[in-house]
Amino acid sequence: MDRIIRFAGVTKRYETEDRVVAIDSVDLEISRGERVAIMGPSGSGKSTLLNLISGLDEPTSGTVYFEDRPLSEMNDNELTLMRRKKIGLIFQTFNLLPTLTATENVSLPLRLDGMRRRTANARAVELLTRVGLNERLTHRPDELSGGERQRIAIARSLVFNPPVLLADEPTGNLDSHTGADIVELLDQLHDEFQTTVVLVTHNSSAAEHCERRFTMLDGKIVSSNE
Amino acid sequence: MNSGLKLVTLRQWSRHKLRLSLTVLGIALGVAVFFAVRTTNRTLVDSLNSTIEKLAGKATLQIAAGDEGFPADVLKTVKATNGVELAEPVTETIANTLQPANEKLLVLGLDVGSDLKLYSDLFEEGDMAIKNPLAFTSRADSIAVTRKFADRLSLQDGDTLRLQTLTGEKTFTVRGVFKSEGSGEIFDGDVAVMDIAAAQSAFGKTGKLDRIDVKNSAYVSIDKLAADLRNQLPTGIKVVRPNLRGQALENAVSSMHFGLTIMSFLALTICIFIIFNSFSISLNQRWKEIGILRAIGVDRGGIMRMFLSEAVVLGVVGSLLGIAGGALLARAAIIVVSRVTATFYGVVTSGKAFSIDYVFALQAVGIGIGASILAAWLPARAASHLRPVLALTNIETRQKEFGLNKARIIIGVGFVIAGLLLVRYSRAEVGMNIQMFYFVFVQLGMILLLPMFIRLGSKVLRPVLGKLFGIEGIIAVETMAAAPRRTVSTVGALMIGLSFVIAHAGFIKSQKAALDHSLDKTLGADFVLSSSNQLNNRTYHFSEATAERIAALPEATATDVISVSAVELDGEEVSLLSHRMDAFFAMSPDLLDYGDTASARAAAARGEGALISNNLSLRANLNVGDHIRIDSPAGTLDLPIVGMFDYFRSEKGTIFIDRELYKKYWNDSRVDYVFINVKPGTDRATFKQKIQDTIVGEQAFVYTHEEFKAWASRLIDQFFALTYLQMVIAILVAAIGLVNTMVISVSERRRELGIFRAIGGLRRQVAKMVMLEAVAIGLIGLFTGVITGLFSAYFLVNTAAKVVAGFTINLVFPYSITLMAIPLVLAVAALSAFFPAFNAARIRIAEAIGYE
Repeated sequence: MDRIIRFAGVTKRYETEDRVVAIDSVDLEISRGERVAIMGPSGSGKSTLLNLISGLDEPTSGTVYFEDRPLSEMNDNELTLMRRKKIGLIFQTFNLLPTLTATENVSLPLRLDGMRRRTANARAVELLTRVGLNERLTHRPDELSGGERQRIAIARSLVFNPPVLLADEPTGNLDSHTGADIVELLDQLHDEFQTTVVLVTHNSSAAEHCERRFTMLDGKIVSSNE
Repeated sequence: MNSGLKLVTLRQWSRHKLRLSLTVLGIALGVAVFFAVRTTNRTLVDSLNSTIEKLAGKATLQIAAGDEGFPADVLKTVKATNGVELAEPVTETIANTLQPANEKLLVLGLDVGSDLKLYSDLFEEGDMAIKNPLAFTSRADSIAVTRKFADRLSLQDGDTLRLQTLTGEKTFTVRGVFKSEGSGEIFDGDVAVMDIAAAQSAFGKTGKLDRIDVKNSAYVSIDKLAADLRNQLPTGIKVVRPNLRGQALENAVSSMHFGLTIMSFLALTICIFIIFNSFSISLNQRWKEIGILRAIGVDRGGIMRMFLSEAVVLGVVGSLLGIAGGALLARAAIIVVSRVTATFYGVVTSGKAFSIDYVFALQAVGIGIGASILAAWLPARAASHLRPVLALTNIETRQKEFGLNKARIIIGVGFVIAGLLLVRYSRAEVGMNIQMFYFVFVQLGMILLLPMFIRLGSKVLRPVLGKLFGIEGIIAVETMAAAPRRTVSTVGALMIGLSFVIAHAGFIKSQKAALDHSLDKTLGADFVLSSSNQLNNRTYHFSEATAERIAALPEATATDVISVSAVELDGEEVSLLSHRMDAFFAMSPDLLDYGDTASARAAAARGEGALISNNLSLRANLNVGDHIRIDSPAGTLDLPIVGMFDYFRSEKGTIFIDRELYKKYWNDSRVDYVFINVKPGTDRATFKQKIQDTIVGEQAFVYTHEEFKAWASRLIDQFFALTYLQMVIAILVAAIGLVNTMVISVSERRRELGIFRAIGGLRRQVAKMVMLEAVAIGLIGLFTGVITGLFSAYFLVNTAAKVVAGFTINLVFPYSITLMAIPLVLAVAALSAFFPAFNAARIRIAEAIGYE
């Protein structure tokens, strides 16, 4: 399988009074189509790892590669376009824009890319239907349940059919039943789109759905199922 | 406030320094304008009174008869009156210096030969005083100046000083220097003294006095002496205490005070919006914090007290800064206002004198704190009523902000309609204090309707900005519409600021149009020769011989010779213009709005009738056929009113009588204007030069008909100079509101912007979005500002102009200012949003998403 994400000696330090080392000399490779779960206690560096993959944050040392291209060589526009088209982001707190409807939230990345509204909305409706929200197209986030909001976030992350989905505690704000539904949905989407999924989670049953599982502690990968 | 909550507040302030600074700045600006305007008003009035008092020296009574003075032989009658201990004759002339050019110098003509006991403070400067009193009085070119003036112009004893006089330029010799205190303190020390005989001769006042300063003897009371003098002197000669003369001058400039006061309250309104805005946004930013505080046991009262205590502290700090800024602003405003009073009312004040009135300062601090509490009240109440469970959840679950409700719209529309109907139909007699409420009704109604305008505006702008700028335009409009609390206060500040600009622009334009129309009717002359480039000139006049030389020019077919003075009518100083009535009617055949032209012309020319301005008719309830009684130094004139027309020289009103009648009763042949008609085909430029050659050496301004109209229009601009300054301040204050909103909007939406960036929004797209939000707010502010401005202009034209001055003028829409306002507002919006947009674009995404 060809490699899509690679960490080469990546360290991320935060220059606070305590000089926190969030990621400590991590080497990691993730292949296309893989499902990877990253587990670990709070503060172990899981979310920082995702932020580094998506270019939301920069390593202090070492190099992060996406499709074999170092992110450090990309300027802000290139990083943004990479996030827009090649990476789908799913957050624990959903991070939907509260003023936009479900359709508008999902179509937003397409419209940012210059797609006409009608075409973008059609694509959004298609995806919302796929995640089971065809009845909620014109609802705003505050009119929906947590599970429904997370489905919108998932639909949004898929609009460009990205090769990578990064999910940061996607079930963290949901009840166990809804959480299980979301994990099931991610499985289906992975099967359907052959998307690489990197899942940060505390939930071991969610992690069970992934072929590779790592555990992080104090910024290091301390164990894996390999 | 509880010490725990104090800690929370202090941490908030230290973390949000920019928001804190903008809030304080908003309060400071509002208070600064309020304090500056009141201080300017007070300084002007104090300056008028102090001028009168200091000029009076130790006099307990003053005898005066307006600008034109009175016969010098009145002095004998006064001195002979029982109870008069001292009586000193005085002439007052404001002369222009020639080197340096056009500096104003108050020249007092005093009887230097007497011992000048009334002015003993004036001439005590050790051995400096007047070195050779004999030479001083015996030589007509002698002049004494203050030490300050001498130092400023590097003058020494024996040096020459050139001044413009009635008979042309004259050179005087400095033969005395006196201290710059007492009388010498007025006009910032620009005071000179001449022997009265020399002053009368030099300034065309031979045989006349401007006033007599009187001191009563110990055994006769001032009131008794005043009554005795009044009985002995003609009715046109007034006997008053010095402080009452100051009051009369204060009365003369009352309409300007009124305008300034309205402005100070408007500034305060805008300030309230800014504070409201800041506190509303503070509430939004601290949503979660409030939820936590409520969850850990802080009761509603505690939250409310926390917000209101913050308002008090910020109010105090902002107000103190505002007073400091207001003091600086007042210094500039006083100079502008002094120029206006000199040009329009002929009243010269120092223009430089300034002192802080501590009562005003305390009032301003009180108002600043009060405005802060008022503005913080609603956000504080909303904060205290927050449901903790909702406040603790994520942004998506926040309670929806207030929206439209029918009651609010109905009340808003009701206020606007009621205000406009009252403006339209209410009678002027109810007075300005009540009429101000009409204005308040309209403003309040428009404020209540703001959410409706924002919703309508967003519906219109969403597709337009979407079409023009794509998704960023749509999100910008949506963001604006989704936060009505934040948007309302900014749109409100913009609306009030712009409405002030539009209203005053409309008012000024309407006044100019009315003046233009009036001049078309009342000024039929081809040329105007004026002794001054100011509306009210008390410093220089032509002689009648000069007017005759002009009339004798072969090209001249008709000349009207006019003098301008003032008389007291019902306690107000009304303009009195004397015309050659036959020539006046001949040159302006369409003169009258009321009255029969032929019979009015005949009666007025015979000196058997007076014409009056329409505003005097309205103010004094006089009409054609009524009689008007005018006090003159030679007794009371009782004339029937034979005609009326619009005339805008004086807001107190104008009376027109025939020149011969005026000369007879006032013994005054001075000339202020000559209107000239010329033969058809006369070359304008050549004739203008010919007039100038004829009166060479005199201070004269020659205008063609069109040039005179343009000069009058410029005068209006000068009158409203302070208004233009205030317009700039209004825009500035509104712009600060916009900056405040955009900075806070970015700060408040940090997480939202982070999400936008995380899912692929480019930096420039974020910046564009923030800029477009400001533009959308600006456009709605502009729209509501223009509407409110037109309503306010309607109020100013229909109510203020009519009540204050009795002027009836038609509202003219200020197209040019409105059109200019569009790019201006867009530019202000873009500028206001520039740095917030820049910061938004550089937001650290990972932090923003995790931002709480």
